[in-house]
Formats: sequence, structure tokens, C-alpha cells
Amino acid sequence: MIKKPYFIIIFVILFMNYNTCFAEQKSTVTKRHSPSFGTAEKQENFVLYPIKFYRNTISRADGNRCPMYPSCSQYCIEAFKKHGSFLGWIMCSDRLMRCGRDETKLSPHVVIHGEKLSFDPVNNNDFWWHQ
Amino acid sequence: MHIRTTCLAYQFLTFFNIFFLFISFSQSVAGSDPEPDIKSSIIISPDKQFDFAEDCFSNKDYLTAVGEYKRFIYFFPGDERVETAMYRIGMSYYLGRHFKKAGDSFNAVIDRYVDTDLSIKSYFMISEAHVKLNAFGLAIINLNNLITLTHDEDVKDEAYYRLGWIYIETSSWEKARLYFSKISAKNKTKYRLERLSTELNKEKSIPKKDPGLAGFLSIMPGAGYFYCERYQDALIAFLLNGGLICAAYESFDDNNNALGGVIAFVEFGFYAGNIYGAVTSAHKYNRKQTGQFIEKLKNNTKINLFADVKNKGICLAFEFMF
Repeated sequence: MIKKPYFIIIFVILFMNYNTCFAEQKSTVTKRHSPSFGTAEKQENFVLYPIKFYRNTISRADGNRCPMYPSCSQYCIEAFKKHGSFLGWIMCSDRLMRCGRDETKLSPHVVIHGEKLSFDPVNNNDFWWHQ
Repeated sequence: MHIRTTCLAYQFLTFFNIFFLFISFSQSVAGSDPEPDIKSSIIISPDKQFDFAEDCFSNKDYLTAVGEYKRFIYFFPGDERVETAMYRIGMSYYLGRHFKKAGDSFNAVIDRYVDTDLSIKSYFMISEAHVKLNAFGLAIINLNNLITLTHDEDVKDEAYYRLGWIYIETSSWEKARLYFSKISAKNKTKYRLERLSTELNKEKSIPKKDPGLAGFLSIMPGAGYFYCERYQDALIAFLLNGGLICAAYESFDDNNNALGGVIAFVEFGFYAGNIYGAVTSAHKYNRKQTGQFIEKLKNNTKINLFADVKNKGICLAFEFMF
């Protein structure tokens, strides 16, 4: 029987290893397919499948109620694509915590399809370390 | 045989007559055309072409203005207003918010004309275009080139003034002060440097949050957000992380290790997100405060140096917000 703290540590290490592998794979794919951007775009990360499932099934039934632009699911997809799974996951969690609260008062607003939304793209949250 | 030859001769004569009749008719018709054409056609003089381009420019139809100025340059390359037309092309692109093309057009002026009023203005406009594209480094290099090339004290002073403002835009306060201090004594009043330096010294009072401290405080979920004055985010971060940590603990305590692992995995993301979010919030806070300070500084003290539309020199405007 594995002790509880060890169980968490193993889980986190496995997750981090997976992310490292995946990040490398992603950059390789991008390099290989750099001449045709469309092909690289199709090489989708399986981490995105749950988000796509949410967007295609749950969100369609539930309706788009996110007060931010881009919506949280779109933000997560962009964060995963831009920064890989590890940082993407962290940025995604951060966004979910901030969604619809103080950010709506602090961020600039945009009108999308007649709806006033708070503009909070990925580059508004990585500007201090990523050019 | 004789009859056949006669028939052929008649046929030939008939064809010949018809052909000449047609030719004379066509000439008479063609001859009737040119006179009305000349009367109805418009001969465009350099003045008319340039005035039309100016009209488009002053009516803010910038893309048409570009086309008309180009037409003027193409058809009247020897006209003395070619330089003005080239400069106006740059201005049209700039005012039409095509900053890259504006930069290229002003560069064309500089390449062709040396040390003229418009070439100097082109240098300034190139740096303005770079600033609009957020290419501050290129704007600085361009103005430094101008300072090296020119011997005119006023031009140098204007370049120093603009450089100072570019450094203010990038929050490099010390460099801004350095360039403002290089402005010659005779122009210090013109640029209102005394007031500017007083306002600039207030940058020390810009409220700031330490991103490192925000991250450190986030060890306690939500405290980092609280420090950055995001109280609702702080509450949610505290409750969410606290709840997930309790759930993971309970799961492990009840020997539901798989469930505990999944919850811990999710919690890891939210906990790290709480730290990341707090650090980002501190940076956002600082950026916002600095931006507000710069905006206020511009409104209170910046002299608007903008090459005017009618080419009568430099337009000087001063604005003060009470």
C-alpha cells in the first residue's frame, strides 16, 4: 500500500513528466510543419479534447454565459497551445478563478455580438514574462 | 474561257469599288470624331492634379489622396511640389493608420532629399510611426540618427524632447530626464521643461505592488489576490483551494486514494493558478497605475509637435487639464 503523501508526489511527478514530453513533442511538430501552418494546427493536443467536448456538448446546451472575451474555454485552448500543457493548465485554473469577478471591473470592455464583455486575452496575462 | 475572264474582271472591279467606297466613308466618319473629342477632353495641369490630391487629403480620404499624389509624381516628376507630394503620401498613410507604409514613405523622402524641412519632418514622423507600432527601439535609433546628422539646434532639441517622451512611454524615467536635460537653454521655456520635470518627479509616488510579495503571500490561497486589491478573487481562491485541499485530505483519510489523487491533481492546478494569478495581478496593477500616470502627464504637460497639413511650419499646441 502506497502511503498518501507519496501518492500525491508520484502523481505530480508523472504529470510533470508527461508535460515535458508533450511540450517537446509539440515544438517538434511545429518545427516539422512550419512551412504549412494549417497542418501544424491540426496536430491537436489531446489535453484539449475535454475542453472541446465541453464546448461542443455542455456549452451548447448550457449556453454561452462567460462574461469574458475570449471565453474561458477559448482562453484555455489558447493558453494550452501557446504555453504547453503545464503552464496552460495553471493559466486555465487561474482564469477560472478570476472569471466574472474583479476582472470585469478592471479589464477594458469590448462589445461582441451586441454583448458587453471584459477583454482578457492570454497576452494580457503573460505579458510580464512572455514576449 | 473569255466569258470567265470577263466575269472575274467585273467581280474584281465591283470589289475594288466597294472597298474604296468603304475607305472613304470610314475616313469621313473618323474625320468627324477628333474635333468633339478634343473639345470634351480635360487636360490635367500639375496645379489641378495637386489640388485634387490636396482636396482628398483635407477631406480625410487618405487612400484616394495617396493614389492622386502618386499620379502627380508620376506625370509631373519635374514639379517642385514632388517632395511635398511624397511627404503627403507618408502623412496620408500615417493618418489612415497604415503606420508601416507611412514609415516606408517617409524613408523615401529622406532617401531622396537631404536636409530639407520636409526631410527633417519625415525623420520625426518615422519615429512617430514606430511608436505607434510599439517599436520604441527603432524610434529611438531614428531620432539619434537625426541628432547625429543635423546641425540645427532647434531640430536637435525637438529630437531630444521626442526621445524623452518615448522613454516616458517605456517607463524609463531616468533616461527621459537625461534627454530632457539635453535640451538647450533657449528652448527650455518653449517645451515647458520646468513644469514637466516637476510632474515627472511624481513618478516616485505611483502606487505599486510587489509581484514577488504577491506570489509569496499566495502560499495562503487568496492572500496574493487580496494584496492586489482583488477581494472577490481572493475569496474565491481561498474557498476553492481550501475546499479542494479538505476534499483531498478526506479522500485519502477514507482510503479513497484514487479519488484523493484526482482531487489533488485538480487542486495542484488551482493552487499554482492562485500563485500565478496573484503575480500577474501585481504586474497588471503596476501597468495600469503607470499607464494612468503617463496619460495624466501627457494631458498636463505634453506639447503637441505635429507637422501641419498645409505645410506652414510646425504647429505648437499646449493643453492643460485643471
